[in-house]
Amino acid sequence: MSDQLVTFVLQILNGLKIGSVYALVALGYTMVYGIIKLINFAHGDFIMVGSYALLYTMPIMVSMGMPAWMAVVIAIAICALVGITVEKVAYKPVRKKGNNMSALITAIAMSLFLENLAQTIFGAAPKPVGTIFSFPDMVFGEVKINGNTILTIIIGVSVMIALQFFVKNTKLGKSMRAVSEDGQAAVLMGINKNRTITMTFAIGSGLAAVASLMYCASYPQATPTIGAMLGLKAFVAAVLGGIGIIPGAMLGGIVIGLVESLSKAYIGDLTGGVITSAFSDAIVFGILIIVLLVKPSGILGKNVGEKV
Amino acid sequence: MKKRIFAVLLTAALIATMFTGCGSSTNNSAADATPTAAASSDAETIKIGTISPNTGNLAAYGEAVVNGINLAVDEINAAGGVLGKQIVLETLDDKGDAVEGANAFNKLADDSNVCAVIGSVTSGVTSGLAPLANESKIVLLTPTATADTVTDADDYVFRACFKDSYQGRMAAKFAAEVLKVKKVAVLYASGDAYSAGLREAFIAAAEEFGLEVVAEESSSSTEDTDYSAQLTNIAGSDAEFLFAPYYYSSVGPYIVPQARAAGFDGVIMGADGFDGTIATMVDDKSLYNNCYFTNHYSPDDTSAAVQNFVTAYSDKYGAESLNALAALAYDAVYMLRDSIVKANSTDRTAIRDAMSGMSFSGVTGSFTLDETGTPEKSVAIIEFKDGAAIWNSTLGN
Repeated sequence: MSDQLVTFVLQILNGLKIGSVYALVALGYTMVYGIIKLINFAHGDFIMVGSYALLYTMPIMVSMGMPAWMAVVIAIAICALVGITVEKVAYKPVRKKGNNMSALITAIAMSLFLENLAQTIFGAAPKPVGTIFSFPDMVFGEVKINGNTILTIIIGVSVMIALQFFVKNTKLGKSMRAVSEDGQAAVLMGINKNRTITMTFAIGSGLAAVASLMYCASYPQATPTIGAMLGLKAFVAAVLGGIGIIPGAMLGGIVIGLVESLSKAYIGDLTGGVITSAFSDAIVFGILIIVLLVKPSGILGKNVGEKV
Repeated sequence: MKKRIFAVLLTAALIATMFTGCGSSTNNSAADATPTAAASSDAETIKIGTISPNTGNLAAYGEAVVNGINLAVDEINAAGGVLGKQIVLETLDDKGDAVEGANAFNKLADDSNVCAVIGSVTSGVTSGLAPLANESKIVLLTPTATADTVTDADDYVFRACFKDSYQGRMAAKFAAEVLKVKKVAVLYASGDAYSAGLREAFIAAAEEFGLEVVAEESSSSTEDTDYSAQLTNIAGSDAEFLFAPYYYSSVGPYIVPQARAAGFDGVIMGADGFDGTIATMVDDKSLYNNCYFTNHYSPDDTSAAVQNFVTAYSDKYGAESLNALAALAYDAVYMLRDSIVKANSTDRTAIRDAMSGMSFSGVTGSFTLDETGTPEKSVAIIEFKDGAAIWNSTLGN
């Protein structure tokens, strides 16, 4: 294989790795949006909660003789708890009194609150996260692939498949889809709407904990603002795929990851140095604008007329 | 009902002002000055304002600088103060933001008791403060802002650190003359004045020292977390040396491990932003072997000035936050003290005149300020070895 092809394959894998993290985070956005039409801007900060949970529980796991990644179980529990608390304390009361706009503002406030709370509790200085898993590098001929990259992609894809199965085939998954389609009708059919919303938050936040495991394995540092940019990009991914649609979030995440990686790698050469790899974020957010202009419902979304 | 809301709001406002009052008084570091004493005895004290990012992303910098300043002020006060007066600090926070910094500066400049300002920490914020300082004719002494543009004239702006173009040049000199490499690559953040300035200085000097730049990649900011794409390209070139002027918060967890994972095993070099990387390193410390950076001082330096500072700082605040920024901030206070003593006055312009062209000897070296108010001093080259920062050599012009 030529050197250029080897580099290209590596760049694709780089893109799939970060893309599968974006996809998992985007799932959290999309699930919550699907069910209560709220863009939960605090979702990125659940990742932050997850990474601090990992940071502090990993040494305990190791001292008990278990592998470090087992800490994710506790991280999922903590994230789910935080997600449910945020929903019960902040979103639910606002949803009852106000409209979608006040709920959105509450979400932004919640995001800032969580970031500042983390800064008060853990300090602003970044904290290194220990080695979560270290998978040996794989060599295929001339291509040497980082083991953690492969593992991250595998975990991401398996979680997505499991979630899809859960939503399609379990009772809770069906009730989630029902509430998402028509909340009032779902209540008439005997579905406990509040319980379903709570469970959606729990699952979405739990996914954030898994995402933080994958994220911290590749980017081993916890800061109070770790979730801000990650959350925004995942939000773009969710919108790109079609917000509210679960396969859309997965597709959007992977696409954003690939676009980011490939634009960083090749945009400089393609444009003769006019646009450099520094523009990759601008390109990602440029995609958001184009999607909103061309197909506001996203790649997998159906154009639905506004109900009057 | 309306009346009650008004009353509640009023009470809230009163309580809030009470807290702000307490906030600023607790910032006074004169150990024995109670809030009331500090307010009523202004004539008996010398008031110095400081600005640093005490909260936000760069809070670790603010913490080190504030500790360094407090340590120096406590020492000076314990030894009888300056001109027989105790120093009182007004410590303000810029959150790493230029607008917050300007607000803080105006507050200090409007207070006629404040005789000089030490700050701010980052070049971005300090560049915005420099014109304000010249306008209100008050000394702005930045301990750590290294961007060339912070001060380029003989005015009210001074610094305690060397400037970026000098630092970038020294990195190129080290690569060419000590490491004897030929092909180099650069990774920098195009949206960041510090990173872009260092890259420019390095590339200019690389040509002079006969280095060939075979790859150049950029990221949008120094806060990116993923550099794998750029580093895969660099690893694919035949560079033996990578110049990556970033801050510790991305160097430790992201740049070095990702460079090694992408298959780049050459030298990685940075500037003073690498200081603090040890606290952000991943578990496998061997990844950081073959990494160097230019710095303002080395804690390994055996000179008495350095060792006394290291001991005093560690005893008081712990060794964790000790870095070159703390040392520079500590020196900045002594530079200001020397100027006040030389001027024999706390008049703002008199202090400026005394500081202009001053010679100074402190923790971060002995130097004389040039006509722009920038020290001319040597740089320490620090090397990482199995997770420890070790002094490699000292380079001068």
